[in-house]
Amino acid sequence: MTTAAPSARRWRFSVTPTPRWSRALKSLQLPAFWVLAVVMTICAMRLFDLLSSPFARFPTATMTAIILFALYAVPFWLFISSMDFLEREPPLLLATAFAWGALVATTTAMPGNRALLGLLAKLISPDFAFAWGAAIVSPVIEELLKALGLVMIVLIARKQINSVLDGMVYGALIGLGFQVIENVFYSINAVEAANAGDQVGPVVATFFLRGFLAGLWSHTLFSAMAGAGIAWFLVRTDKSLIVRWLGLLTGLFLAWGIHFIWNSPILMDGMGSGGAGLLLGLLLKGLPALILVMGLLWVARHREASYYIDELRRLQDPMVATARELDTLEHGHLRADARKYGRDRAGKAGKKAVRAMQMAQAHLAVELSRSPDGLAGNDPVLIYSRDQVLAAREKLIQLGHPEAIASPMRPAVPRVVVLGIVAVLLLCALIWLAIQSMNAA
Amino acid sequence: MLFVLLASVNHLAGHQLILFRRAGDLDPANVRFMVAANRWWRNLGGSASVLGALLIVVFGLPALDRAVPVSKQAAASATRHEIAGGVSLIPPVGALISKRTRSDAEEGTALFLIGPARYVVAVSRFEGDLPAASTRLRDKIQNMRGYQVTAGETPVMTASGLSGRAGTFTAPGRVGRYAAYLAPGHLIEVTVTGSESDLRMALERVDESMATIAYGGEQK
Repeated sequence: MTTAAPSARRWRFSVTPTPRWSRALKSLQLPAFWVLAVVMTICAMRLFDLLSSPFARFPTATMTAIILFALYAVPFWLFISSMDFLEREPPLLLATAFAWGALVATTTAMPGNRALLGLLAKLISPDFAFAWGAAIVSPVIEELLKALGLVMIVLIARKQINSVLDGMVYGALIGLGFQVIENVFYSINAVEAANAGDQVGPVVATFFLRGFLAGLWSHTLFSAMAGAGIAWFLVRTDKSLIVRWLGLLTGLFLAWGIHFIWNSPILMDGMGSGGAGLLLGLLLKGLPALILVMGLLWVARHREASYYIDELRRLQDPMVATARELDTLEHGHLRADARKYGRDRAGKAGKKAVRAMQMAQAHLAVELSRSPDGLAGNDPVLIYSRDQVLAAREKLIQLGHPEAIASPMRPAVPRVVVLGIVAVLLLCALIWLAIQSMNAA
Repeated sequence: MLFVLLASVNHLAGHQLILFRRAGDLDPANVRFMVAANRWWRNLGGSASVLGALLIVVFGLPALDRAVPVSKQAAASATRHEIAGGVSLIPPVGALISKRTRSDAEEGTALFLIGPARYVVAVSRFEGDLPAASTRLRDKIQNMRGYQVTAGETPVMTASGLSGRAGTFTAPGRVGRYAAYLAPGHLIEVTVTGSESDLRMALERVDESMATIAYGGEQK
């Protein structure tokens, strides 16, 4: 007899599993799909039109900007998509989110931003608009447009948003798309302002400025926060409607708030004392937002992972997953350590087998969550998924490494923490270099 | 704006309609059809809300901006901005200062966005006369691919008495104006580009701003 572990009850509302009958092609029957297709086509043409003129005047600089910021997006994309290891999102939907940010949000934000800025200048004063325009206008217009992207994603694939983490992933990708195209335009503006023809110097300076000084706490963060709010509203059907609305409004308000703080003229010139003061000012404005979103991400990941791991735990079958494997599977850094441990003990084949086992276990956990009767119902999809796990187990046993677990000898301080500290120090050094190279003092 | 977003999200809640709570006595096939039809209409409502919000941002706000007149008080309160080398101006009303660079105290540029039109003012050291200054800017424009100066130059003068020469140019999909002013030891190059409709909307404000270009001392 199998009984639900206590933690399964605890996390039971964290995830609303995607039903088995959910199919991508069903989206074609929805008006939202066709509205999205038309809007994206129009906005893609508009973006092409906006880029064609600078491309004609500054071909090298424009192409350099596009390539640099496209490459810049790659590690962000990999990081964001890896957040959702257990229940991966459809790549086409991830690409749609990115495309909304890059094509729709950017091209529609331009006239909106300009108009609202003009209204601020006329209704209050040009000085006020100059000082506070970016802080007021950009969060209002841009956060709205990016949030609408997530609404469209939900409208075409409601069942794919089944946890707060999913909302954060889609939100972050919408923000990333926006950030990339916005930075390309900033680069082109810099080339134009330099008034020195088709030079890549201003593009590189903008890359440092927008990529390293402002890149980490930019649209990707803001939209992830808004995505968390929208997903909370959708998923937490156990809460009253008022609480769900409050959660939604909190997410949107926090997205707007951290965008407002980042764009505000407060600490715009740092804390004085040249480059060090500028660096301190940047960290003071950006770091709290980064910590807030990363903290929320950690909680959302943990809750989603706990939900799916509990599905495996309820089987109480050590051939499917041992207790130590379940502990490993729950944490990203332990999964990575398990693959490394597999390689140390059984070479490349060991690493590959551990990865295959983790993927099979994750797949089975997701399928279990979609099937109310579990394995007792003789569901062929579930049986196939379990067989995949058993095949992976067999492979591990053959390699003399039967359990896909993290190394018992791993350092007390997880490698991810050490790498994180090194990355932060490296980032500070890069920001420092960027400030120095741009003669910020 | 927030209301439109919340209205869109409200379509996603997946609440059961009261109609279907009482539909237990209906044929299950009919209930499924009605639920699917209900979802389709809700989906259409959500899509229309999103589309409406986009249209408000893209067309509604700019229309509102155009409808609100620029008050003289607002224009007069604009702050003078120094570009470099003692050269300053008052930006066009409602313009966004998109980029400002300064290589040293004597040389720098500022890029203003007035709607989609771009207004660039560059200050650099220069010891020649006005025709040489004008030729330098004209050559720079003509050296850009597809750009062609279209008419003869005309003399212009700012309110503070700086004299210059102005002309027009064209490029694929856009037109522009340029002006070169001479200040002691400095050349002030001004270019304004955009589509014809962009420039039509911005030109009056740009002309007002160009007239405020001044060199040194306290200016109003």
